[in-house]
Amino acid sequence: MDAQLKRGILDVCVLAAIADGDSYGYKIIKDVKPYVEISESTLYMILKRLETADMLTVRSAEHNGRLRKYYHITKRGLDRIEEFKSDWQEIMSIYRFVVKEENK
Amino acid sequence: MTKQVFLDNLKKRLAGMPEADLAERLSFYGEMIDDLIEEGAAEEEAVAEIGTVESVAQAILSDYPLSKIVKERIKPKRRLKTWEIVLIAVGSPVWLSLLIALFAVLIALYIAVWAVIAAFWAIFVSFIAAVIYLLIMGIYYISASNTFPGICLLGAAAVMSGLTVFVFFGCNAAGKGVVRLTKKIATAVKNRFAGKGEQK
Repeated sequence: MDAQLKRGILDVCVLAAIADGDSYGYKIIKDVKPYVEISESTLYMILKRLETADMLTVRSAEHNGRLRKYYHITKRGLDRIEEFKSDWQEIMSIYRFVVKEENK
Repeated sequence: MTKQVFLDNLKKRLAGMPEADLAERLSFYGEMIDDLIEEGAAEEEAVAEIGTVESVAQAILSDYPLSKIVKERIKPKRRLKTWEIVLIAVGSPVWLSLLIALFAVLIALYIAVWAVIAAFWAIFVSFIAAVIYLLIMGIYYISASNTFPGICLLGAAAVMSGLTVFVFFGCNAAGKGVVRLTKKIATAVKNRFAGKGEQK
């Protein structure tokens, strides 16, 4: 996949992974990996960026005797997902147009 | 490599980073390794999955502002004794002006490089002016029935247009090259300042 495209999409992927409920680092990677390749380092950068952009919040909770960070999506994060969905509705209709043209 | 060895090596590699920021990143990767182990991976496997110490350090540095690293590096690591503070204050006319001079030189060098790029673009503009001039003169000569000189001028205009295209691509490449160079220098400085324990 084109690098620029991938970078824009990964942010939304991470948001989608925590949209239905709080999640933690490893689980987010597990959820996203079937769809797009993401490394631990990349995830860290994305989480930091999303936190700075107020699209998620972080809290620490105890798990099996150690501390684990849980990420929680904010209203802004949900708005970003909606934005992504409408952007891609547009792109998909363009895609159908392109594919149709090719088949002519 | 065990989890503790990995984290210790990473910590040493990034020794120049502010304590709190480094701890945050170390705990993230530590947590990731713990989760992998919980899901059934062996400790060595889990560490390998994260990547090499070097690649993780590079990823962390690339996302970390250069200014914070420099600030951390020049902060005094222990309480300064009175005589040390006095010495620094008294000697400030010397080291402060040297420091300012150093920065002035570095900034001037950087501006000079961009000035060269600007000069290239000035050449590009003058080439375009030359093409326009030769075209006009060529057409004028031909219309004044001075056919041969006119054709020569039009030919020269054509040659100049070709050269202009080359200069254009040259300017673009040079500009991009300087941007890339700047990024490389920033990375090198970050590495130099942040990595006290790096293997040479």
